[in-house]
Amino acid sequence: MEFNQSHVAPLIDDEFQGQASKRVLSYIQGKRRQGMPVAGLYCVYAPMELIRAAGVVPAGLCSFANKTIPPAEAVLPANLCPLIKSSYGFIVTDSCPFFALADVVIAETTCDGKKKMFELITGYKPLFVMDLPQLPDQEEACRNWTAMIRNLGGFLEKTFERRISEARLEEEIQATNVKNNLMNRLFGYAAATPPVLSWNEAYELGLLAQAASTEDLQPVLEHALETLEQRKVSGVHYGKPRAPRVLVTGCPLGGDSLKAYRIIEEAGGVIVALDACTGMKPFKHFIEEGSGDPLAALAAYYLKIPCSCMTPNQKRLDDLDALIERFRPDAVVDVVLHACHAYNVESYKIMNHLKERHRLPLLKIETDYSNGDVEQIRTRVEALFDSLDR
Amino acid sequence: MTAARGIGLDIGSRTVKCLVWGHGRILSARKEINTHDPLAVCADMLAEAGHGLTIATGYGRRLLSGYHGCETVSEIKAFARGTKALQPSCRTVLDIGGQDTKGIALGERGAIEKFQMNDKCAAGTGRFLEIMATALGLSLDDFIREAGSAEQAEAINSMCTVFAESEVISMISRGLPRSAIALGIHQAVARRAVSLLEQVGIREPIVFAGGVALNPCLAREIEKQLGKPLVIPGDPQMVGALGCALLAAEKS
Repeated sequence: MEFNQSHVAPLIDDEFQGQASKRVLSYIQGKRRQGMPVAGLYCVYAPMELIRAAGVVPAGLCSFANKTIPPAEAVLPANLCPLIKSSYGFIVTDSCPFFALADVVIAETTCDGKKKMFELITGYKPLFVMDLPQLPDQEEACRNWTAMIRNLGGFLEKTFERRISEARLEEEIQATNVKNNLMNRLFGYAAATPPVLSWNEAYELGLLAQAASTEDLQPVLEHALETLEQRKVSGVHYGKPRAPRVLVTGCPLGGDSLKAYRIIEEAGGVIVALDACTGMKPFKHFIEEGSGDPLAALAAYYLKIPCSCMTPNQKRLDDLDALIERFRPDAVVDVVLHACHAYNVESYKIMNHLKERHRLPLLKIETDYSNGDVEQIRTRVEALFDSLDR
Repeated sequence: MTAARGIGLDIGSRTVKCLVWGHGRILSARKEINTHDPLAVCADMLAEAGHGLTIATGYGRRLLSGYHGCETVSEIKAFARGTKALQPSCRTVLDIGGQDTKGIALGERGAIEKFQMNDKCAAGTGRFLEIMATALGLSLDDFIREAGSAEQAEAINSMCTVFAESEVISMISRGLPRSAIALGIHQAVARRAVSLLEQVGIREPIVFAGGVALNPCLAREIEKQLGKPLVIPGDPQMVGALGCALLAAEKS
């Protein structure tokens, strides 16, 4: 799949074309050289604004490569989710450059597998585990998560011998809202028919935006917006005009599991929405500004993330409704990593909701980071497109 | 039905099927055992099939993509089209092939409404039955006959080919009758097929296609568990190739 014109200008005009992770690594290395400490993160529940307000750079840790799974399986059971196995494998083989740069690691109790894996990596770097409430609609959830965020603040202040001021927190909250607003405008170009933004560009923008501060990112995103607007004006679009539009939901994808996106494209689909923590999900909502209680505002904001570890996860359905209205997909693909019970079980609810509310078909793909099932997945995706009444 | 000519090729994991459609009927149909070189098998069959648009399906379809103008479709579409031709009122298709099992729900006019496939392992497929026959020291035909003659079944719990083989071997070493084990294996495969059909919704008539539909003991066990009859086409292995040939003829 490609653009309908040759020589389409890239959105991020730098030397890292096709090397999104290297771009992020180079950014974090630059901050490190300026003397900023680094916090390694495993999940988008980590409160970025607090971390940044402490003058610390957040760095997403490696978790998407098949190659680190065999060494992990020397310790972890084979029937565990590949994301957890890969993360652990990166650490025991000392092959994650982000982990190498990290002074501390911040982790959340999203699922049992991760929680127990964190116990095995406590000896490598100072680790701060946050107890994530899983009934977000209950009143106590926000109070408890606020307390956890406050504790994390204490941990960062103590570790790095500094104070996090409320004023700095408030500034970071405002900065995230500016960033999310820009990101949402960018994603809007994927909502066009046919789309002007490719899934890979959306993915790469998301990856960079998780690491970079709004101050550093704003000129990049504004340039990307101008580039997209020029594309639109000159009739550039991505994929075949009549290609089935696909919304991909489910587990976080990256590295080797990006095969799911590639197969969908090779089968003739065009991906218009990435409903994953490594896609559009972290940029969807806004944080209350000037609330007088920035920690509580942060807690409320992060509890809006509809991870399948939450119950009952009505927000996932609500967010899907909004995504469907905006991106108008013809089909939804739910990508579930092997042994991710929460996303796997939730898939049934998603399927029924999509059928009843939107008359949209859902294809669930259960996969891992290997290439052994590419042809089987291809058959299912092709059959999904065959079954669309278009 | 279309009078134009079309060639259908179903390149499965165990066999390659080729069917030529023309003048509103099947002109020829051929089956070959697949080898390590499916392209050579296909080339030979296509040379014999003569002129006409070719549409390929099955695991090997991508090998043929672009080969002498050959097009490809998913097995789901091929089986849906083939079944519609053979049994126009069909609402549910069960296809068990060499390495996968598919359940397809069809709309009133034969459109695909929903489908399910087994995951990437070949549990409960034709290959599974072959390996179980070997574990019992029987040819596939004798294995099916033994199962058909059994008075009692020994329950098999594993559906993973490797684990089921261990389970069968431990049953043999306990001195259990081979016929009872063979029937137990058939019942386990039938259970899996029925659960797949339940996921797409079971509406009659139900057509059973694919090479494993040639196994009368399995068909009977599935019918027993479903409590509903299955319609088995005259040559259930050719349904995918027929679907492709018809799709090709309609495109010509």
